[in-house]
Amino acid sequence: MSETAPAPIVSARGLRKHFGKTEILHGLDFDIPPGRIYGLVGHNGAGKTTTLNALLGLTSYEGTVRVLGEDPYQKRARLMENVAFISDVASLPRFLRVRELFALIANIHPNFDQQKARSFLDGTDVRMDAKIKNLSKGMIAQLHLAVVMAIDAKLLVLDEPTLGLDITYRKRFYRRLLEDYMTEERTLLITTHQVDEIEFMLSDIMFIRDGDLILHMQMETVSTRYAQVLVDPANVEAARALGPIYAETRFGQTAMVFDGVDRDRLADFGAVSTPSLSDLFVALMQRTPGAGEPR
Amino acid sequence: MKTMTALIRREYLEHRGAFLYAPATILSLVTLALAAALLFNKVRVPYEIGATSALKFFEVGFLGMGALWSLYLMVALFFYYADAFSADRRNNAMLFWKSMPVSDFTVLSSKMLAGMTLLPALIFAALIVSGILLYGLTGLAVIMMPGLEVPGVLEVLTSSVQLGFYALVHLVLALLWYAPFFAWVGGLSTVFRRWSIPLAFLIPGMLGLVENLFFFDAGPRGGYILNYLRRRLEFGPDRDNIETELLTALSADTNAMLQSLLASIDWMQMVGGLIFAALAVLAASEYRRRVVST
Repeated sequence: MSETAPAPIVSARGLRKHFGKTEILHGLDFDIPPGRIYGLVGHNGAGKTTTLNALLGLTSYEGTVRVLGEDPYQKRARLMENVAFISDVASLPRFLRVRELFALIANIHPNFDQQKARSFLDGTDVRMDAKIKNLSKGMIAQLHLAVVMAIDAKLLVLDEPTLGLDITYRKRFYRRLLEDYMTEERTLLITTHQVDEIEFMLSDIMFIRDGDLILHMQMETVSTRYAQVLVDPANVEAARALGPIYAETRFGQTAMVFDGVDRDRLADFGAVSTPSLSDLFVALMQRTPGAGEPR
Repeated sequence: MKTMTALIRREYLEHRGAFLYAPATILSLVTLALAAALLFNKVRVPYEIGATSALKFFEVGFLGMGALWSLYLMVALFFYYADAFSADRRNNAMLFWKSMPVSDFTVLSSKMLAGMTLLPALIFAALIVSGILLYGLTGLAVIMMPGLEVPGVLEVLTSSVQLGFYALVHLVLALLWYAPFFAWVGGLSTVFRRWSIPLAFLIPGMLGLVENLFFFDAGPRGGYILNYLRRRLEFGPDRDNIETELLTALSADTNAMLQSLLASIDWMQMVGGLIFAALAVLAASEYRRRVVST
């Protein structure tokens, strides 16, 4: 008896998007299997939010996209029963009080558990009688997270959910998310510029550059495929001969990132480590090839 | 149904200022003014009221208040629709509502329905409270003008229920009659936000001008479009009939008034208008679904 792979939660084939005559997404192909935590990383304007909007049915697109087996653009309302998202921490309706918001969602969303949402707010400064417009940015982020975590969704999409928050709130946000939400077979897709802060929780990473997916792999593969070497000055030319994808001189030392080069060979040139996501991001986001030249 | 009720309640929460707080403030101020006038003995009746019964005084006053509250409601609803259909964009909550399992058509329908049901119900409640205040004022009139006949309690109650029913039917029919105009400004608001307020008048005005430019003297004075809109904006029975009914010495015959009201309505126009309103909401929801993502 052969085991079949579980159906992907998200599937995109030839995903394209035009704004006027400008093509923003150039035919993305990817699958997101269930139970994974995906990071979607890219420059400003690379197409992250457009990709997410397409997956959430918020914008039209060319190509084929299926989320939980549905066409998101045609079936957005039904899809939202099993998909939760935070696109902007400031998007909660500001004219409501917290309890009014919970009561409203309880009547609108079949998978929203009001008691759970209330319990997520325990230990925070957010009071049930508080008006949302009077809450601070950090409190609104906590409230929004409590709302989405109280929704029994199969897919959670977070688009820059901690934008504008200080480091304390950001760390609390992600800790809460991991401890209280990612305990079941759920899938999380997240974009952020603070890649280092979410690196520890990711199972998979996708880099998007100018509308193209330039990297899509599991985090374990990143550590086996990519290596960073702090090259001793005497070995720079020899190391460069192995074709690093990126090189940078820091305080007299040259750091090089290699793709698919055996670590034993690299160890001869200096200390070898796995590049952090932000280092890899910088390495891969170069818009022109020929990365061997130090910067 | 549960979702629709929740969404209508949401409209109430967002716009209760115009439909609850403002009428409550007006009523409170009027009550305070009356109380102050009584307290300081400032009530003067400088002219003869042509009514022989205090009941007639009450009836005329009640219908007058009904007219004033209706006017308030229509103006408030115009601004409500100009605001509500684009409110989610303005206050940056569009993405939150789009994260809910509710279609854009359902959301906009709830806004349309809120303006046709719950929000007018609040103004109707204000009218009823005004009626109670008026009853107090009627009592005052009886004290100050000994010539007035004092109505019996049962008479006042019967009259209140009948006039209240007439006002309710009038209100419901007026809302249905003006629904296409409200849907029009709401639909424009989805695209042009607050600019929908001038555009709601400017677009038909421009069309009327263009018609006059090209078909000058070929149709009625002012052109077909503007003439149609002028007729379409008129609602209610012939004013003379109502005045005749009210200014008799007898108690108002609300049955006759109702018949006069029902007879004055062009039902085909009413149905056509409602179809237009439904299509406007549908078009607005498609625009919101396709174009508006933030």
